[in-house]
Amino acid sequence: MSRNRQLLRYFVKSWPSFAAGGVALLATNLLALSIPRQIGAAVQHLRDAADTASIDVSAVESLAWTIAALALGAAVARVVSRVFIFNAGRQTEYRLRNELFAHLTRLDRAFFERSATGDLTSRVVNDVTFVRLMFGFGVLHVVNTAIAYVVVLSLMLSVSPKLTLYSLLPYPIIFFTVRLFTKAVYTRTQAVQAQLSAISARAQENLSGAMVVRAFAIQDRENDAFRALSDEYVERNLALARVRGALMPYMGVIGGLGMLIVLWLGGLETIREGITLGEYIEFSAYIVTLAWPTMAMGWVLSMWHRGTAAFDRLGVILDAKPSVAPPATGALHLPAISATSGEIQFEGVSLTYEDGTEALRGVDLTIAAGTTVAIVGRTGGGKTSLVHLVARMRDPTAGRVLLDGVDLRDVDPVEVRGEIGYVPQDPFLFSMTVEDNIRLGERPGSGLTVDDAVRIAGLSDDVEILSNGLQTLVGERGVTLSGGQKQRVTIARAVMRAPRVLVLDDALASVDTRTERRILDELAAVMKGRTSLVVTHRFSALELVDEIVVVDEGRVAERGSHEALLALGGIYAGLHRRQQMEEEA
Amino acid sequence: MSAETSTDHRDEAEVSAEQARDGRIAVRLWAFIRPYRVLFALCMLLLPVASALSLLQPHLIQLAIDNHFVPRKEEGLGLLVLAFAATILAEFFLRYAQIYLMELAGQRALRDLRCAVFAHIQRLRIAYFHRNPVGRLMTRLTSDVDSLQEALSSGVVTIIGDLFTLAAIVVILLAKNWRLALVTFAVVPVLLGVSFVFRLLIRAAYRVLRTKIARLNADLQEAVTGMGVVQLFVHEEASKAAYDEVNRDHRDAAYKSIRWDAVLYAIVEMIGSIAIAGIIWWGAGEAVAGYATLGVLVAFVEYVQKFFIPIRDLSQKYAVVQSAMASAERLFELLDSTEIIEDAPDARPLDGFEDRIEFRNVWFTYTDEDNWVLRDVSFTIDKGERVAFCGHTGAGKTTIIGLLTRMYDIQRGQILVDGVDIRELRLRDLRRRFSVVLQDGFLFAGSLRDNIAMRAGEVDEARLREASAVVHLDRLIERYPQGFEHPVRERGVNLSSGERQLVTFARALAHRPDVLILDEATANVDTETEALVQAAVEALLQHQTSVVIAHRLSTIEKVDKIVVLHHGEVAESGSHAELLALGGLYARLVELQYTDPTRRGADA
Repeated sequence: MSRNRQLLRYFVKSWPSFAAGGVALLATNLLALSIPRQIGAAVQHLRDAADTASIDVSAVESLAWTIAALALGAAVARVVSRVFIFNAGRQTEYRLRNELFAHLTRLDRAFFERSATGDLTSRVVNDVTFVRLMFGFGVLHVVNTAIAYVVVLSLMLSVSPKLTLYSLLPYPIIFFTVRLFTKAVYTRTQAVQAQLSAISARAQENLSGAMVVRAFAIQDRENDAFRALSDEYVERNLALARVRGALMPYMGVIGGLGMLIVLWLGGLETIREGITLGEYIEFSAYIVTLAWPTMAMGWVLSMWHRGTAAFDRLGVILDAKPSVAPPATGALHLPAISATSGEIQFEGVSLTYEDGTEALRGVDLTIAAGTTVAIVGRTGGGKTSLVHLVARMRDPTAGRVLLDGVDLRDVDPVEVRGEIGYVPQDPFLFSMTVEDNIRLGERPGSGLTVDDAVRIAGLSDDVEILSNGLQTLVGERGVTLSGGQKQRVTIARAVMRAPRVLVLDDALASVDTRTERRILDELAAVMKGRTSLVVTHRFSALELVDEIVVVDEGRVAERGSHEALLALGGIYAGLHRRQQMEEEA
Repeated sequence: MSAETSTDHRDEAEVSAEQARDGRIAVRLWAFIRPYRVLFALCMLLLPVASALSLLQPHLIQLAIDNHFVPRKEEGLGLLVLAFAATILAEFFLRYAQIYLMELAGQRALRDLRCAVFAHIQRLRIAYFHRNPVGRLMTRLTSDVDSLQEALSSGVVTIIGDLFTLAAIVVILLAKNWRLALVTFAVVPVLLGVSFVFRLLIRAAYRVLRTKIARLNADLQEAVTGMGVVQLFVHEEASKAAYDEVNRDHRDAAYKSIRWDAVLYAIVEMIGSIAIAGIIWWGAGEAVAGYATLGVLVAFVEYVQKFFIPIRDLSQKYAVVQSAMASAERLFELLDSTEIIEDAPDARPLDGFEDRIEFRNVWFTYTDEDNWVLRDVSFTIDKGERVAFCGHTGAGKTTIIGLLTRMYDIQRGQILVDGVDIRELRLRDLRRRFSVVLQDGFLFAGSLRDNIAMRAGEVDEARLREASAVVHLDRLIERYPQGFEHPVRERGVNLSSGERQLVTFARALAHRPDVLILDEATANVDTETEALVQAAVEALLQHQTSVVIAHRLSTIEKVDKIVVLHHGEVAESGSHAELLALGGLYARLVELQYTDPTRRGADA
């Protein structure tokens, strides 16, 4: 869909508000623009009085009262029009933000890995604001200008067609010269916005890494980098100001030129009695009235360009297509969970990342239902990629992954994830209570309570220590909890799900061995008859597993029981020996 | 949050207090404007000149009516037309110059403010970040500064120009016909009264609006960061609903501000027209009596229009200024936050580390004295000694690092480096004695080189390569075509956690610290890499003072001293052998760790 069609779509969504606002604007203009005629009539009365030396004061007074009444009516209509149109702008902003957010929830891991958080938020925050201004102020002034032109032009023509023609001579110039401005305004606005995003991204990173910044005392480097970005921002803003700054005064000149022509040609007409003085006054009042909407148009044009530039930047989010998506037609469902659920099959699975890195190369692997399997291997060998595929965080580039006999790509990713209890490497908690964080994994009919999950995850002691127990609010990214505590909250969260497949992606790394043992014992009971995948570096965790899969250089290198793998004398035996030696040294 | 909501509920009648506040904010803003005062002054000079030119125009029309139109005299009209044209052209150039100069000065002043806020954030202690979400701080640095920018380049200065215009019109009208002028100005008190009332309403509405936008940003920020988790737990609908609620709140707050804005704008416009009605009503009598010419009447109408346009815009600009003031208040609030760990005025330099570090009866809590994290902890770390801390999760191990590097100040006791309390040392000097490898290997966007060297000019190529080789990062770097220039994305998302850890290792080593601190750093690296790193670190740090916090006892048993923490207290300390002989907590931990996993599994 072209940009203008998309914009139109948002406009149409709020059409009742825009329509009501438009009607009110028409009323405002009709009422307000009737005032010059009353002024002209009053002046003409006085002019005639000077000639005839007699005056009907009550007629002039009634003209004054008419002006006051028209002003009151115009004010009411004006309030109505502004409220409707500006509200529609805010409504559009609200709708756009919700749509962006909803779309973000659909985008996949790859998208978030290649986008900086600060940049994304800057688009949703700042760019949407510019789109809103375009819809609110922009629409108001476009409609207002259109109406004002139609009404004023017909009034002017009724006074003097010839004078109307002359006084409007400069106006076509606007439309040609303004086009010169617009392109420059557009490109320079994009440059400014891009720089603002860069500043946001930098600040975002600095704030997230506050601890490292302090530990290495690199505040100076950070300040210098931030200053450099800010300097560039100033430069780009000034480049924009050189163009945009001329726009308003220029429009003033155009308006002034109309006045000038009326003063000159209209003046001559008045002197030669082609028109009356009252008509001259009325006419020049119209030209003045026209100057303001014309000037506002200049403003609107720059707002339009800023708005469309911003809208294009939103396209980066709105047009992004998740690579993991529900099947186009006829989504399959996973078979109902039974005593033997959770069989996972990898059939010739390869995974290549966007940057060309080959994470997995032709993996064939069947993990029997109800087993606990450890996945071990060197860093970068492909362990995490393997478990990402199970949760459909990515789809394989070749081959297929089946859960209980169904190709995952034929199932809605939401359904797949509903069956997986995933504990990621980096424990991420939301700034809500501990309980709410755990309840994130809640699933009706799982038969598990929060207390069960807390116990299983070995979190009971920690919860007791916390000031408000389960109701303790954890700060953004859960900073007030220790790394181990955070990890155990994420385990409790996954357990809550009573999942078909539980994935522990190196999730016990920052827990001490005693806690690890306790957690694994508890988990063994819960995961009875379900499948667990345990990615790990620690050999102490391997005593509870049914099978060990060694992943190396994107392939399944070895698999089997601990004893069998030791006997094999391959990679596993090597890794084990090293850890062993080191422990005994 | 609390500071923001409490201002919302403030008694709106406290007008004088608010004005005093506005005054204070203005004074503080001046500090940022001062360096560019010449530019600002130039703007101020241009404004009245441009205004004067535009005020000349109605007078020229008055002359045209009285001297040419009424007596029907063509002669000399051309000169008036030329004069009129001249005012238009001159006004254009003056206004353009004024706008550009304003932008020039304003942008620079706000850059300084933005950088000052950023620099201040760099000095804030880490605890501040626990309570203030990143999203909120981001709002300060972007939205709040931008709303000031908008005010500076469109609002404040033109208000001063507007005020000049208003004063000039008052004088001109009084001079032309004081009776008619008084009738015209009869509406001014009404106007002021109305503005005053709506001003309060608009101000309150804007304050609420800014609170809501900060909320909206913080929520968005968090959702974007945690989107992976949202998706894994199929929480999309709930998180959309939560965002919708905040978004709706924000929209509704905006509706309110629109309403007051629109009413004020319309009323001001209406009063302008009523003033014209007044001129005609009273002016008719004046004209008939011969006190005012028709030209004067027409000029009055023109001047009144020029009088009410700035007043109308004033109310609009006032809204901009209001929102800017609210932003400035928040910015200065942030700049005023004294949660800074700062050097004492007579702080001493620390050139090196000679002798020992000592914790002497240290008590520490993150919150209040009911929740001590460390209780009466004492130990020493001698130069060249390698000391390990162990204990259960939550025993207070990680806290030791925060205290050593003075991320937090302790409540009781002393931490001494070479016998000097660290609070008496220059903070920067103190921190540069240490290299810390933190739990989560935080990387910056940039190159691998930037992430290892951190500060330009401190780590040369040789040291960079040496450090990378020692931690076996060189193998990894060889895989990348650009080598050390390989780009690292935000937070290092394009590297695995093991790789990230290796980079932070190299970073720590490359800085050749007096004391190396490893915090649970080995946990995420696979056994093979870990063994290599361990060996390398040991070799390099043969005579290196180091503090190790790890769960794996094997990594620490060769250290000179082990401090076992239990519930924030030092349970035992000594060498591996001593502690084993003691048969206490440590011995039990070791027993757990050393039990052969496979044999235990077979027994079970």
